[in-house]
Amino acid sequence: MMMGSGKRKWLLLGGLTICLLLVPMLVTDIYILSILNMMIIYSILCLGLNLILGFTGLLSLGHAAFYGIGAYTTAILMTRYNFGFGSAFFASAVLALLVGIIIAIPTRKVRGDYFCLITLAFGEIFRLVATAWIEFTRGAMGIVRIPMPKIFGIPIATETDFYYLGLGILIFTYLTIKAITDTRYGRAFIAIREDELAADTMGINTAIYKIMAFSIGCLFAGMAGSFLAVYQTVVTPSNFRLEESCLMIIMVIVGGMGRNLLAPLAGVVVMTVATEVFRSVADYRMLIIGLIMILVLLLRPQGIFGSSSFKS
Amino acid sequence: MPILDTKDVTKQFGGLVAVNQVSMTVNKNEIVGIIGPNGAGKTSFINALTGIYKPSGGQIFFQGKDITGFPAYKIAKQGIARTFQNLRVFSNISVLENVLIGAHCRIDNPFHHIFLRPLRSKKIERQAYAKVIALLKNVGLEEKKESLAKNLSYGEQRTLEICRALASDPELLILDEPCAGMNSAEMDTLADFVKKLRDEGQTIVVIEHNMCFIMAVSDRIIVMTEGAKFREGTPAEIRNDLEVQKVYLGEQEVE
Ligand SMILES: Nc1ncnc2c1ncn2[C@@H]1O[C@H](COP(=O)(O)OP(=O)(O)OP(=O)(O)O)[C@@H](O)[C@H]1O
Ligand SMILES: [Mg+2]
Repeated sequence: MMMGSGKRKWLLLGGLTICLLLVPMLVTDIYILSILNMMIIYSILCLGLNLILGFTGLLSLGHAAFYGIGAYTTAILMTRYNFGFGSAFFASAVLALLVGIIIAIPTRKVRGDYFCLITLAFGEIFRLVATAWIEFTRGAMGIVRIPMPKIFGIPIATETDFYYLGLGILIFTYLTIKAITDTRYGRAFIAIREDELAADTMGINTAIYKIMAFSIGCLFAGMAGSFLAVYQTVVTPSNFRLEESCLMIIMVIVGGMGRNLLAPLAGVVVMTVATEVFRSVADYRMLIIGLIMILVLLLRPQGIFGSSSFKS
Repeated sequence: MPILDTKDVTKQFGGLVAVNQVSMTVNKNEIVGIIGPNGAGKTSFINALTGIYKPSGGQIFFQGKDITGFPAYKIAKQGIARTFQNLRVFSNISVLENVLIGAHCRIDNPFHHIFLRPLRSKKIERQAYAKVIALLKNVGLEEKKESLAKNLSYGEQRTLEICRALASDPELLILDEPCAGMNSAEMDTLADFVKKLRDEGQTIVVIEHNMCFIMAVSDRIIVMTEGAKFREGTPAEIRNDLEVQKVYLGEQEVE
């Protein structure tokens, strides 16, 4: 696991990173770059969700709400309070983390199915508030004209600029989650997924660890949301529907849950491409996405790059 | 001073008294066997000791400290490790990770160290890894360290569960029917292993239906029936006790 084939793996990752850094030099098509940027956003979301779902076994149907919290925080702070992107980004991540903790505390001891329902309800409440609290969120019209972000004075303006910014956040997310999951913390999350009672008798304070996994996953959703806000320059409640949460879950499952942190990214690529290809038949999009998921799971129950399938 | 001292521990499920005022002591470096017919309350008693159930009454002292009503994870930190009657290994992960999880509460790696003192954090994790590998060697599972736990044989999974419990360096190890599902060769190996642990200073409580095993390993045996302690004595005393034989013969007629 953490030792063994370590060197080769880091070499491979280094190679992958260099390739990703070179992409904008080869790809100049704005449309393709914009798809890549959406993939980056979903990758950040799915890395976080994998911590919650793949490691800890908590099925959260409210991940899009934390994504939305990040997006609205950045949108509101930058449009109304003259925050720079850096501080708005930080505030978005922290707020998503805090709300994650607040949701996780009362749900720490409920059974899986109730957890699922509570996060579903939270996701819907978030979306309804974002739609109905017009003075604060401008309702369905959303918050528009979010200023262009600057990093150390350098404006982030083009698709390529956003690509590098997003990639930076993605790499940061990966490294952070990797560092956490390579220690006893990651193993404790897995123990909870596998058998909560046994985890308890191993000296794992399961309640604390569940809160931890959930809120850290939410923190990265907040970052993804913050990035989305400056990238789109507009945020509306429809960005954070239940459908989005479901799509993220599907991406994680199709790619593969658990230890292999990069596996969910395969799901992101497959599902994003599918969404784009079938954009013209928007009405049937969810149907097609569902079919793809069923197909993958029939052929590879553990997901495309998953190491082992597990049932709860 | 005994390492474990229970006073009138009681556990009720509604009207059912599963454990009825059980008082017992376990001394350091001793193997105490618990026997009794099915439904006697042995597992419930252990569950009350290890915090899986909150005792309805009585007190539990561990190393002189009152741990009555502590949650399971705190009791584990205090130094009581256990296995389960119906195997609870972490099926979908490797043997190695199972045992590393067993060592969880002895890996002194605070969360902020992951980021603020990464080298120290890595070093602590590596030390834990080395310790776990040594432990796996000791029980003969080192070859299979990368196998998923669910792919081990039943006997190996039992061994793994014991190994996982040992990884927390427990002061007291509790085994709930470790022989269930083992063949006689595996059982002999286990008996030798348990005795070896005791000789190395481990204190053990073992519940077991297999009389050969329990008689061979125990220094002292406690017999439970209907939730209460019924007899206590050396293996020889228990073997020759007519009343105990009656309890067991009665059970065998039922079975
Ligand atoms: N969670 C529970 N809720 C209700 N009753 C329970 C519970 N756990 C155990 N019991 C009851 O308590 C009694 C004692 O059960 P326990 O499992 O402790 O017996 P045991 O001595 O371990 O038996 P065995 O040798 O079959 O393992 C039984 O009558 C059982 O049905
Ligand atoms: Mg039992």
